[in-house]
Amino acid sequence: MSTYTNEQVAHLAEGTLDWETTFRMLSMPKDNSRFKQYVEALQKKVSFKDKIVLPLAPHMYIVQTAKKQWVIKCDCGHEFCDYTDNWKMHAHIYVRDTEEAMTEVYPKLMAPDTQWQVYREYYCPTCGTLHDVEAPTPWYPVIHDFEPDIEAFYKEWVGLPVPERAS
Amino acid sequence: MTIDNSSVQVLGIDAGGTMTDTFFVRADGRFVVGKAQSNPGDESLAIYNSSVDALAHWGREVDDVYPELVTCVYSGTAMLNRVLMRKGLDVGLICNRGFEQVHSMGRALQSYLGYALEDRIHLNTHRYDEPLVPVSRTRGVTERTDVQGKVVIPLREAEVRSAVKELVDAGSQAIVICFLQSHKNGTSEQRARDIVKEELKKLGVDIPVFASVDYYPQRKESHRMNTTILEAYGAEPSRQTLKKVSDRFKKHGGKFDLRVMATHGGTISWKAKELARTIVSGPIGGVIGSKLLGEALGDENIACSDIGGTSFDVALITKGSFAIKSDPDMARLVLSLPLVAMDSVGAGAGSFVRLDPYSKSLKLGPDSAGYRVGTCWPESGLDTVSVSDCHVVLGYLNPNNFLGGAIKLDVQRARDHIKAQIADPLGLSVEDAAAGVIELLDLTLSEYLRANISAKGYNPAEFTCFSYGGAGPVHTYGYTEGVGFKDVVVPAWAAGFSAFGCACADFEYRYDKSVDLGVAQLASDEEKAAACQTLQAAWSELAGKVIEEFVINGFKPEDVMLIPGYKMQYMGQLNDLEIISPVSTAATASDWDKIVEAFENTYGRVYASSARSPELGFSATGAIMRGTVVTQKPVLPEDPDCGPTPPPEARIGTRPFYRHKKWVDAVIWKMEALKSGNHIVGPAIIESDATTFVVPDGFETFVDKHRLFHLKEVK
Repeated sequence: MSTYTNEQVAHLAEGTLDWETTFRMLSMPKDNSRFKQYVEALQKKVSFKDKIVLPLAPHMYIVQTAKKQWVIKCDCGHEFCDYTDNWKMHAHIYVRDTEEAMTEVYPKLMAPDTQWQVYREYYCPTCGTLHDVEAPTPWYPVIHDFEPDIEAFYKEWVGLPVPERAS
Repeated sequence: MTIDNSSVQVLGIDAGGTMTDTFFVRADGRFVVGKAQSNPGDESLAIYNSSVDALAHWGREVDDVYPELVTCVYSGTAMLNRVLMRKGLDVGLICNRGFEQVHSMGRALQSYLGYALEDRIHLNTHRYDEPLVPVSRTRGVTERTDVQGKVVIPLREAEVRSAVKELVDAGSQAIVICFLQSHKNGTSEQRARDIVKEELKKLGVDIPVFASVDYYPQRKESHRMNTTILEAYGAEPSRQTLKKVSDRFKKHGGKFDLRVMATHGGTISWKAKELARTIVSGPIGGVIGSKLLGEALGDENIACSDIGGTSFDVALITKGSFAIKSDPDMARLVLSLPLVAMDSVGAGAGSFVRLDPYSKSLKLGPDSAGYRVGTCWPESGLDTVSVSDCHVVLGYLNPNNFLGGAIKLDVQRARDHIKAQIADPLGLSVEDAAAGVIELLDLTLSEYLRANISAKGYNPAEFTCFSYGGAGPVHTYGYTEGVGFKDVVVPAWAAGFSAFGCACADFEYRYDKSVDLGVAQLASDEEKAAACQTLQAAWSELAGKVIEEFVINGFKPEDVMLIPGYKMQYMGQLNDLEIISPVSTAATASDWDKIVEAFENTYGRVYASSARSPELGFSATGAIMRGTVVTQKPVLPEDPDCGPTPPPEARIGTRPFYRHKKWVDAVIWKMEALKSGNHIVGPAIIESDATTFVVPDGFETFVDKHRLFHLKEVK
């Protein structure tokens, strides 16, 4: 099993890791310490003090607040909701459901028929970061992507103490 | 002419990524091996240093010896590194309009070439290298020739003219032209080439122009395009490197013409028109050397096994000839070059050993410690266990005599790392953990070797196994045990064997051309004669090219021995066989019958007589022309038999050696001091500066008159 320096993992988080190391990471069994190192690298990148519990998306995390509550937060510090909630319900939403709106992102005739499929884009209300795009049928409810079992992940997968959480 | 036995005649050079080996052979067959650190900035300097190192064994000076040499063959990684590091010329490419992206896409498979199976099947590791020619320096022109070679859309000449101007403005230092189906009908491509030359003249720009049809007229446009681009991209700069090497030889009195090992197993001059085929040459040397040794020993079936730090390479010689692959991949590019067929597995003596944290299974490689040996070398900066660490711990390697004592190895450091990373997690002793690693490697290699032989329909009992490479002799017993070879041979010069093999290679050019001939089994004489005509036309064209190359080197056309060949398959089958032609020229129906008969004989030998299917008819898919001239080759040493008992001075002492769950005292012998006829029974370890030959209990070896060690299992 390989191990990596904090600097290498920081480059990984930054997207600037050299290909040779990236390739090794991809092809070898995952190193035990990676999650811890990765979260530390992310922690250095964000502007807020709250401890990152789990990264959810490239610019979104579940964090532990000063009051030991677990909430979903954007890079910029915008707080969406409790970690068990669907953060999308608290985001700004732009729905591409016309041919005109589709033509902004795809060449004409190469986008889906909006009668069948629409794009729903979820933005941070504070900084405008696009966090996610859904491509469902027009009537489909907002999808709740991910309900992580954080306790099991910490205890059974990465072998770390579970961060404290106020109930 | 009397031959002075002490005159040095042949020099073989293997300029690898880490070390540059030189191999000098005297008229009486005595040889010395020299090693020096490679110097990518100036290869000629590394060769010089390595020569000094080698000749010191004889107490001779480079300036005395270079003038005596009659043959010198270079093999190295100069061309390969240039491509891997993308340090070639800025090439401009003209292709068919609409096909501008073909080169970058690399048939999609270039995104995973050279990967281990696990990485091939995982898409996330696939990656496209930067193309040799960016799309910004690629121009498409309107033209189309169909698969039958008919021009269906004529070349729009005006587009070629404007393309040239744009490519020159974009800073092109060479222009490559490659159109679809040009191997079938090169008219449009040749026309485009002439227009490009005209335009360059008008622009007053003097840059070389490469039309694929002039270089590699073979089917598969990605391969043809890549190879022609490679020629433009890397050949000229590599020629400069080789010129530097040649100039340094001249400066020290060398009178010979430097030759370079090429992928087809022959050597070509550094002045050759086509240098792309020198891209891979090191590992081929071993196969050529094995062929020569096999001829001397009377073995016509040989399994060549080369174990280095990173990989294990296997090639088979059957009935005295090695197989040629016509569209290999190298440096993650698909190419149309004839390459000596070899199979590799990514496990070697320097491979890293890791424990899968989930399954607790041992995994070897695919990466390796390379020149950094392992954690046993404190200066390596490594902390991952390598196979070498296990060897050091178990007493296979002498920690004080690694590379002739050049570096000192720390046994305790290796023990600590093996304990922490492998032994403790598995609940084993350090010795058993290390022995398990060695056993796994031996098993991996022997299974690979066995599979390579039996998968091709051969029986290992008909093969002699040659084992060489820096680390080969350490593992020979392990990967040959139980395979059932007729004989197992370890040359005393195993570490310099590739360089030796290069010196054994013929001065030979080889050119290939695709042809499409289909002739039914019971075709009329006219049809057979027509097929002969097409084949002969291709041979004549290729012979012209071969002779032209020799003329560049000052040979007369009549000195060149031409060997025509062809590739043939039963119509509708997928794989062709390469055959040396039984006729020197083809014209009549009876010539065709001989050509077919030679193919059928080979087919019956390679597969089975009962598998022959003449009722399908015969397709000739390629014409081949090889040409050679006479050269000086190394002579094998011939020693008088000194009896089975080794001289007392050869015995250095003993060392504890661990195998099969117990420590034994292995006798250490000095390889150089052993004499012809000497017989040694394991457990023993035979050491020299560059290699260690392990003979465990249950094995015995004797030295023959050519200084070859024959390894046997004791029944």
